[in-house]
Amino acid sequence: MAQVVLENVTKIYDNKVVAVKNANLVVEDKEFVVLLGPSGCGKTTTLRMIAGLEEVTEGKIYIDGKVVNDVEPKDRDIAMVFQNYALYPHMTVYENMAFGLKLRKFPKDEIDRRVREAARILGIEDLLDRKPRQLSGGQRQRVAVGRAIVRNPKVFLFDEPLSNLDAKLRVQMRSELKKLHHRLQATIIYVTHDQVEAMTMADKIVIMKDGEIQQIGTPYEVYNNPANVFVAGFIGSPAMNFVNARIVRGEGGLWVQTSGFKVKVPKEFEDKLANYIDKEVIFGIRPHDIYDKLFAIAPTPENTVFGIVDVVEPLGSETILHVKVGDETIVAVVNPKTQAKEDQKIDLVFDMTRMHVFDKETEKAII
Amino acid sequence: MISRKKWLFALLFYVFCTFIVVLWMIPFLVAIFTAFKTIDEIFMLRNFWAPPRTWTFENFKVAWKEGKMGRYFINTLWVTSISVSGTLFLSSLAAFALSWYDFKMKKPILMMFVAGMLIPFQMLLIPVYKFSVMTGLYDTLTGVILFHIAFQLGFCTFFLRNFMITIPSSLFDAARIDGAGAFTIYAKIIMPLMKPAMAALAILEFTWIWNDYLWSLILLQSDVKKTVTIGLTAFQGQWISSWNIIAAGSLLVASVPVVVFLVFQRYFIRGLTFGGIKG
Repeated sequence: MAQVVLENVTKIYDNKVVAVKNANLVVEDKEFVVLLGPSGCGKTTTLRMIAGLEEVTEGKIYIDGKVVNDVEPKDRDIAMVFQNYALYPHMTVYENMAFGLKLRKFPKDEIDRRVREAARILGIEDLLDRKPRQLSGGQRQRVAVGRAIVRNPKVFLFDEPLSNLDAKLRVQMRSELKKLHHRLQATIIYVTHDQVEAMTMADKIVIMKDGEIQQIGTPYEVYNNPANVFVAGFIGSPAMNFVNARIVRGEGGLWVQTSGFKVKVPKEFEDKLANYIDKEVIFGIRPHDIYDKLFAIAPTPENTVFGIVDVVEPLGSETILHVKVGDETIVAVVNPKTQAKEDQKIDLVFDMTRMHVFDKETEKAII
Repeated sequence: MISRKKWLFALLFYVFCTFIVVLWMIPFLVAIFTAFKTIDEIFMLRNFWAPPRTWTFENFKVAWKEGKMGRYFINTLWVTSISVSGTLFLSSLAAFALSWYDFKMKKPILMMFVAGMLIPFQMLLIPVYKFSVMTGLYDTLTGVILFHIAFQLGFCTFFLRNFMITIPSSLFDAARIDGAGAFTIYAKIIMPLMKPAMAALAILEFTWIWNDYLWSLILLQSDVKKTVTIGLTAFQGQWISSWNIIAAGSLLVASVPVVVFLVFQRYFIRGLTFGGIKG
């Protein structure tokens, strides 16, 4: 198992498209790192560069301390699982899993031992004689993982491995992959556009946009301390509310003033906002940090906002409200026992200790 | 009343199709009839279209013996099998490179293969003849084989490349990571998946090369090297042609590609209709 390091890695295609810009990343030994971002953000290109399937335009990639820029994929000691599984259609499951070992001239009994061991771990022992077309999506997925683990590589690379599966199977495979990670104690780099996959599986999430890394952090960090507006909006569902606002000095300290409401900044954040007084900022608050006043713990006039309910979406465990506050629509996830009805008035309470403020120009987080 | 309209349409359709089939089969049928007639029946009784009044197998014997068909069959079989396997091997390699690798001039090279298909062979008769004389390939079976391979390469490469690009590129990537080199990927991954296409192409090529008349006529002179299609012309005299023997010989010659097609038609149809592989 090994550490993977990206040092100022840039990928520019022949048609001058910059796919990855100056990426720096350290994947520690045995770490499960997820590259997350919308399609076209460069996450798959990054993974393919680590695999050796794409050339690096600038910068260096290290695996286990060695520069691998000019090393062939087969000599990098990596294994990759593809989105469409990429099983060899004319080979049986057994042959698919054994193919890499055969090419590496492993003795026959060693190949057999490893293939059967991997099949046992993945629960596909009865499928070994079948061809890929006789398997379901979930089974193919397992075979693809099996083909990777028989090689016992230093690094596992996963390229959106679950996105071709149906929702239920995806949840199941998610936990299985996580268990597998614990069992194999492997370094895993995993690409996905699904934030739930990223949050549930990753030790560390790398969020990318337009070829640039936006933030690297634990799921907790990227959720609670997003580095910029993009990360704040991308992580979390429903997405964070963003409102254009002005920081003003008022009664008892600093206030966030928007076109539709005014809420007080908690004392602990005042220092950070000192340079932004009377300046335009972006105020952010997550739907889960907004409460229906009837169920709020500490409602005060300083953190309560008045609005008209636009849409009510009951989910059973919680209810999503779209509330018109001035010109803005605020989304709140509230207690399912809420009495809110469409077109009626409601008081919303913001948990201001969990507020976010972003610089209007750079969109970087201030709080 | 819809069913009646449909019924009428179906009737018209079948009548039309039957007409086409009959029209198509007439020359073939007449050739079969002719092969079983005596020369007297054709020229004295002027019986061209009707079935023979007396059936005779003599023509086949004459065609085989007098026409030295045995020798010609061996020559043709040799030329055809080497040409077909050579063409398939080279064109599959070319198609492999053209569909999986990026290199300079990739597009122009592909265009060249396609453009080569569009040049009428007749235009090349004299240059090919001169070239073969110059290089000493004239009147050798090797020469015929090389020219067949050269002329079929364009179409085959184009055909195979269009199949290969339908194979998902992740298979190629997966094989690279598994440790396969270029030739292993070609032989172990891509070729097995190309089986239907290769079989279809093999049948097509076999038929074309087996039936070829032009190149053999241009490139071969000595009797022992002739192919069957040239051999048949021996019965064509200046004033009188032995049509019954030519017909019998033609049937013998044609039987080989027909048998090949019947044996492999399963692959042929699959190769032409399937777009590579599915999941």
